[in-house]
Amino acid sequence: MPGSAELDVRWRPSRHARRLLTLALGGLLIATLARRPEFAGLAAPALLLLGPARKPRPVRVRVRTAVATSQLYEGEVGTVDLIVDDAELDARWVLQPGRGVEPASATAAGGAAARFEFTVPRWGKRQLGSVTLVLHDRWRLVEGRVTLALPDVDCYPYPAVQRTRVVLSRLPNRLGEHAARVAGEGTEFTGVREYVPGDRQRAINWPATTRRGRLQVNTFAAERSQDIVLVVDATSDVGPPGSSALDLGLRGAAGAAQAYLDGRDRVGVICYQWGGARWLAPSLGRRQVYKIIDTMLAADAGWARGDVFSRLPRAALPPGSLVVVFSPLLDQRFVETLRDMRERGFALFVVDVLNAEPPVKRTLADAMTRRIWRMEQQAIRFSLRELGVPVVHWDGELPLDLPLAPYTRRPLVAHR
Amino acid sequence: MNARLRLTAALPRLAALLLGAACVIWTALPPRHTGLADLALVVSITGVAAGALRLALADVPQPADEFFLSAATKVWLTFLAALRGLPWEEIAVAAILWLEVQHAARPWPTAALGVGLVGYLLAVHIAETGAPAGQLLRRQAKVLVAGACLIAVGAAFAMLSATGPGASSALLRVLAAAAVIAAAALVLPRRD
Repeated sequence: MPGSAELDVRWRPSRHARRLLTLALGGLLIATLARRPEFAGLAAPALLLLGPARKPRPVRVRVRTAVATSQLYEGEVGTVDLIVDDAELDARWVLQPGRGVEPASATAAGGAAARFEFTVPRWGKRQLGSVTLVLHDRWRLVEGRVTLALPDVDCYPYPAVQRTRVVLSRLPNRLGEHAARVAGEGTEFTGVREYVPGDRQRAINWPATTRRGRLQVNTFAAERSQDIVLVVDATSDVGPPGSSALDLGLRGAAGAAQAYLDGRDRVGVICYQWGGARWLAPSLGRRQVYKIIDTMLAADAGWARGDVFSRLPRAALPPGSLVVVFSPLLDQRFVETLRDMRERGFALFVVDVLNAEPPVKRTLADAMTRRIWRMEQQAIRFSLRELGVPVVHWDGELPLDLPLAPYTRRPLVAHR
Repeated sequence: MNARLRLTAALPRLAALLLGAACVIWTALPPRHTGLADLALVVSITGVAAGALRLALADVPQPADEFFLSAATKVWLTFLAALRGLPWEEIAVAAILWLEVQHAARPWPTAALGVGLVGYLLAVHIAETGAPAGQLLRRQAKVLVAGACLIAVGAAFAMLSATGPGASSALLRVLAAAAVIAAAALVLPRRD
């Protein structure tokens, strides 16, 4: 992402020049006031050293900027390259990182070209900060300053590790990679049956044919794909920054999106927030991962009033899709929405990302409040499980495969 | 930073401290107690010491996030800000000049002080910027030699006996010295 700008330089005497000027003026002043010529001589070297400061200097300089990437993941190291075209002047670059941006290398560098490395520890749209270019003449008597604002970067949540996938028992009639329960033209062997006219010759199982004395053919499972809708609950963000419920939700959703898209499934996303929801219809392909993450990042921009959750179009929530929810389950309205979706027949799967509790205090009332709160949370999860919605807890540290393991070994049966 | 690099960075700082201390001692002896000489001595010592401390602590980083700091850290940061914000070397130079003017006319010691002060300021500059000392001095050798000659000229003017007993003759000598220096300052850099 290269850029170039011609910037005005603000010149002023350097500290060295100011010190020499103090000596020169002090000497001359004392010489005049005290009538002592030796002080005029004392001022002479300083005046001579200040002489080259009168040379002409450029009023504008061209600075070229190149940020390696405008999109990076949490903790990933990015680089910004800076070049000033005026090679005659001594240049020194000082990086002032923006809020939420951490330098990964020295923040000051000398020379006509400089490279700074940085990381963004937490997802979001970040302003990289600014760079101050300090120019010196050959004698370092004058100092020119140029301040340059660096471009913004989008920091994506680091995807959680997920290699296994939850697969529905009833898959839509669309070619994919998941072995369905019905027979088809897949590669997964399901059994042997008697030959009927129209079967392919290559499907004949000769050992079974020899044993039974009649032609037997192998049967295979059909391979289908499924629709996945990831629902991220952005209504409650509790916990320490960096491992809050929303952080975990976004990381989990990003990891799940990658895993299901790798399995040729169609994946969409719905970000639920106060007053509405942002959504992206399920689709295929690598680009869909970035579209999903962009949709999730847009949800962070504010509490914009968008589409109401209950009025989402069919494209956002296709019938028969598996809905994977990442939520701390703190907002009662969101929980009611999940219940409503389950009653409408959607196959739901909830990943509980709540890893915080009310603070511990010594008073009895606080302890009681905390206990009641815990019971309420347990009741919410129990009520969802009673409706046939699996709820698993994920702490954000372990791979998502671990909490999902009981549900990835066999197809998920969603009763209506 | 390995030991060699640390030594390379420390030497100019030590040189600056020693030259500053030498200038203060040179001008403080013999001791004078007139015209706020004692105060000037204290100020010059403070200026040189604080300037040396500023150079010594130049590599200590200033934290970007200044919220929720402890009292000790706040005091330390205020101290660093004061150390880095005030022009300690200028204060020291002004105080040393004031201390020197308290002495009766002594042209050659004043000339030597001038050499010492220029050396002090150059050492501070080298320590501050990390510029290679040899290269910097070689670049400015002609100017420095010319400056030394002009210091000698100034001292020589001071030693000339006045043509008359009036104050105007002393002023004439000062003006003559200043004119020579100004002419040299205007001409010499263009030859560089």
